[in-house]
Amino acid sequence: MIRYKKFSLDNGLRVLVHEDKSTPLVAMNILYDVGSRDEDPTTTGLAHLFEHLMFGGSINIPDFDEPLQLVGGENNAFTNNDITNYYLTVPSANIETAFWLESDRMLELDFSPRNLNTQQNVVIEEFNQRYLNQPYGDAILKLRPLSYKVHPYRWPTIGMDIDHIKNVDIDRVKRFFFSHYAPNNAILTLTGNIDFDLARNLSEKWFGPIERRAIQSRELPPEPLQTEARKLILERDVPSDALYKVWHIGSRESTDFYTLDLITDLLAGGESGRLHIRLVRERKMFSEINAYMTADIDPGLMIVQGRLMKGIDINEADKAVEEVINSLLNNENIKQEMEKVKNKFESSTVFSNTSILNKAASLSFFELLGNPDLINNEVDSFRNVTHKMMADAVRKYLVPSNCSTLSYISTRKE
Amino acid sequence: MEKLQRVRPTVYPVEKVIIPDATSFSLNNGVKVYEIEAGTEDIMRLEFVFKAGQVNEHLPLLSSSCNMMLSEGSQNFTSEELNRTLDYYGVFMNQSAEKDYASVVFFFLSKHIEKVLELSREVLFRPVFPESELNSLMKKRIRWFLINREKVQNLAIDQFYESIFGNKHSYGYQIKEQDFNNINTVHLSDFHANNYTPGNMAIIISGKINEKTNMLLDQYIGNISPGVPLKNNHTVSLEPGSLKKVHINKNGTVQTAIRIGSATINKRSQDYPALKVFNCILGGYFGSRLMKNIREEKGYTYGIHSSLSSLDKSGYKIISTEVGSRNTNMAVEEIYKEIKILQEQPVEKGEMTIIRNYMSGEMVRMFDGPFALAESFRSIWEFGLDNSYYYRLADKIRTIEPDEIMEIGRKYYKLDELFEITAGSE
Repeated sequence: MIRYKKFSLDNGLRVLVHEDKSTPLVAMNILYDVGSRDEDPTTTGLAHLFEHLMFGGSINIPDFDEPLQLVGGENNAFTNNDITNYYLTVPSANIETAFWLESDRMLELDFSPRNLNTQQNVVIEEFNQRYLNQPYGDAILKLRPLSYKVHPYRWPTIGMDIDHIKNVDIDRVKRFFFSHYAPNNAILTLTGNIDFDLARNLSEKWFGPIERRAIQSRELPPEPLQTEARKLILERDVPSDALYKVWHIGSRESTDFYTLDLITDLLAGGESGRLHIRLVRERKMFSEINAYMTADIDPGLMIVQGRLMKGIDINEADKAVEEVINSLLNNENIKQEMEKVKNKFESSTVFSNTSILNKAASLSFFELLGNPDLINNEVDSFRNVTHKMMADAVRKYLVPSNCSTLSYISTRKE
Repeated sequence: MEKLQRVRPTVYPVEKVIIPDATSFSLNNGVKVYEIEAGTEDIMRLEFVFKAGQVNEHLPLLSSSCNMMLSEGSQNFTSEELNRTLDYYGVFMNQSAEKDYASVVFFFLSKHIEKVLELSREVLFRPVFPESELNSLMKKRIRWFLINREKVQNLAIDQFYESIFGNKHSYGYQIKEQDFNNINTVHLSDFHANNYTPGNMAIIISGKINEKTNMLLDQYIGNISPGVPLKNNHTVSLEPGSLKKVHINKNGTVQTAIRIGSATINKRSQDYPALKVFNCILGGYFGSRLMKNIREEKGYTYGIHSSLSSLDKSGYKIISTEVGSRNTNMAVEEIYKEIKILQEQPVEKGEMTIIRNYMSGEMVRMFDGPFALAESFRSIWEFGLDNSYYYRLADKIRTIEPDEIMEIGRKYYKLDELFEITAGSE
């Protein structure tokens, strides 16, 4: 049971505190309710580029990292479709420095054109490193626009075209900041060796004076229902064929979320997942295969991806994946397998919650979803999934008309 | 907006880290057990570590294959039963074979200790190495290997090890596709019989340890015959390559991987803590010289790092980055320039304070929680060291002066001894 307390400042900043005196450290997590889904289609990748700019100096502090390192701290950040999340740990005596730093960059950045220019280059190299210079690296870039035609999830966080990053100017950056970065659009969470009263006082002192800002309203076009199977074939100079299949699923808050999570675990939760047992071990069609959900707030995707063994026909492999998914509808062994993935979910939740950083990130995200108690309730929600719920979800979501398939074909002759 | 009064908070020195000592005792068959009681949750990390790494193999891939095959079937379980049972109890099992050691680590809820010990006895001491499973594994590994060889960072690091340690020594030789066809089940059984014995093993256990733990360890592991002590017949010597610069051409890549470094001292050396500090300033954290220059100034890369690794018979330092291919030469030049500056110009006071405090903070993180404690313990235990190593490191971080940093740099980063490996398009 993770106990936490919660309050809001007058400017709208929500604050959550979880005391854990077993560590000498404090973790601070600030979640901004802005992600790549909030971008203009002509300036994609801006939310992520912005995350980089947040380290380039704020209105009163020329460099974010140095003062934090000086007090023994460490930090990082990530951006996804929905949120931009900043986190750090620091020895507890120096927690006020973290407040000073984080509140200053919420107050205002220094918007240096030089920093913008450097970070544009860094992000272009990040794009090259992650997507262009890796075998199969561009698959995910192609999958998004295949499965989404309208909703902003159709572009990846890095951006749909790297020219968008190259062409961003400083005015655009400023506008983005003032319409998304604000106390009333953020959630601050503190976990670890800190007293609630201190957390409250420091929050008031450092974040309290920052004024509310007008947040850009979010009116995202809903993705129309997919009604027929979509296929894409890519030919690339890679050693093996690879298969990607994605299905639209419900939103993060839908009641089916944990059911689908359980389904991905039945399919690919470790060495005893069905896809692995049937298609890697028994039929030897894949050298590796995995299934996961994007866990987006708006309706997201379930993805199955695998790399084929030499000499296996990709259409046969595709059929075999569908067979394994449909095998979930049989009653054979399913009860015990469901119990197995529930146990595994429970233990991985316990492990995850041993880290103050994980606890801080989870509390922030669950608060954004409107229910921080999820940190304690998720295991029950997962446990409550019945065989009927599971089978209904397979029939509802994992059908060909809701699926996009990417066949990634090796042009290499062996 | 009105200007706010924003006075910078006081900087408090990072308190000296207090490291809980591991309690050690022996099982009935003499196996050493190290216990670290820590954490608030009812979880455990249980590691079995064997002197069964690459240095013990007489064929490439033998140690890693043996380690991976441990979970592919035992006297009483098929691989599927084993994996299903581990998953059923919510147990995570990590197998690894490194240059010196091989290990199997279990993470689990403390209440399942008995089940984990029963299964670990099967995995560690009763594997049967079925031929069909070996064939499947090797076919898969070839696919993984071919995909990995598409990545410039793998091409560069494999060549780096060969260059600094030589192509005869297991620290250095590069795996080739045909090596995957040379391992048979007899090799595995022999390697297992010689290396995976209680006499060649230690147990490191951390987390919430209950009173039954020691009794159960003896019950499941303590009665296995310790085996004949293995004499180390490893005679191949380390012979660095003669070519200091090697480029591996890979057409069509947009980035080039750069690896610069050489063999060096390990944790047993008195100079090691000072070298750690030098390394950290050069490229060991986000505010390092290399990161500031090559990422934050020039924007050549998404990241650049320098690190130190200790091995039983050697050690190495390495600077790693991937840069836009057109910037390769400039990035390499800047790397050498930054090393030279650190050898010739004293680090200024402000940066010294940052490095002292940052590294002291890192040390706090290294001992925070049962998993971090166990990993930190293992990484000194391997070298026959105890926590006094960490206290020496902590002291060095606090007391090292700029002169010593320059001296250490000149002694261990001689530019003409560094190997420079690049992989990417010309």
